[in-house]
Amino acid sequence: MDRALFAAATGMTAQQRNLDLLSNNLANADVAGFKESSETFAVLAAPGETGVGTVGIGEHVVFTQGKLAKSNGPFDVAIDGPGFFVLRDGRGGRVYTRDGAFTRAADGTLRNAQGYRLDGVRIPPDALTATTAEDGTVSITTPRGTRAIAQLKLAEFPAPEALRAIGGTLFVATAQAGRPRLVTPGDTHGPSLRFGMLETSNVSIIESMMQMLTAQRAYEANAKGVQAADEMLRIANNLQRG
Amino acid sequence: MVAARTRLDIATENLANVSSDGFRRCLARGRISAHGVEITRVVSPDHGSLRHTGRPFDLAIVGDGVFRVRDAHGVVTTTRDGAFTRDRDGVLRDDAGRALVGAHGVVRVADGTAIDEHGIIVRDGTTVNRLELPPGSVVRAGYIETANVDAIGEMVGVLTAQRSFESAEKVVAAIDATHQKAANDVARVK
Repeated sequence: MDRALFAAATGMTAQQRNLDLLSNNLANADVAGFKESSETFAVLAAPGETGVGTVGIGEHVVFTQGKLAKSNGPFDVAIDGPGFFVLRDGRGGRVYTRDGAFTRAADGTLRNAQGYRLDGVRIPPDALTATTAEDGTVSITTPRGTRAIAQLKLAEFPAPEALRAIGGTLFVATAQAGRPRLVTPGDTHGPSLRFGMLETSNVSIIESMMQMLTAQRAYEANAKGVQAADEMLRIANNLQRG
Repeated sequence: MVAARTRLDIATENLANVSSDGFRRCLARGRISAHGVEITRVVSPDHGSLRHTGRPFDLAIVGDGVFRVRDAHGVVTTTRDGAFTRDRDGVLRDDAGRALVGAHGVVRVADGTAIDEHGIIVRDGTTVNRLELPPGSVVRAGYIETANVDAIGEMVGVLTAQRSFESAEKVVAAIDATHQKAANDVARVK
């Protein structure tokens, strides 16, 4: 019964973890550029022996494409395909994101909501509007006409799942993710950019809700397993009293 | 009582793994022997249902067959859990870090690599590797096989085990009472 008690307890822990992740996904379902996370569970067992429950063996971010939606920010741009925007933090370190909502700061840089600036772009003070083409060419309109000022490049990783999430929609590179490759968008096989659009999160609310209900029920079922094991232990302990 | 305990072990083990992809539940098979009821574990051959994930290297086998995976020490094991991701060298690994092994060694992928339903891994039009599958089985990319555990069924298993434990306890108590009578009452000299 110890075995049963332990197995049921690992089941409860697993479903608790599952619920944590699902609720985090649901909470961020409306955040542009957010990617959902999921955890993989496997049998907890010594090699060649029967299992004694379950154990989480790793959380990973699911980098499937989110839907592109029209937006009305001044410099909103979405990635259609793989790749990340390259941002710079205050100390010059690189941060990667799929969230393309940028605003123009006083110094002409394009910054995201957290204040990180988009690498390689500085809008001159005389610019009235700025746009990005599908191939990443940033052009501005001034009273004297239109001209191209920069080329946006996206970073692609050999193993994006191994990137480290640093909150919200931001990621930093790791050795496991491999060396980032800078690509110019607009290629037929690669990603392209959509100006005036944002990528919505890839969380499906209906599916997450459904998984949440299943996880909740599975949690209850495992709790019943704990109860049953406990009850049987009680009976076994009381055998002598007759 | 031992049999009921084993039944509970099996049911809780199955319940715990309701979210373990590719998990096959154990069935409790009872058999009457000279020592009472003996329970043996049989792994259920039923397939779990497929869940759509959309990730290109999530693989599910429809039909029989297993994925062969090799861990860091070179030990090859088999699994039905097909959640693979590409590492920085292009090797497909499961979440425990084990590399997927095909007919021509470790499976490597790059952009433009696809795995068709016969398990043939094609890169830019040329076959680079093949997953070994028994005839008639197909591979679905973008899907994962979930555990074949039915939570309701296992709940019933838990309750059944608990009740049969209680019944066995009554029998033990009855036998104990009989012995007590035999020892204390039958031979008493009035």
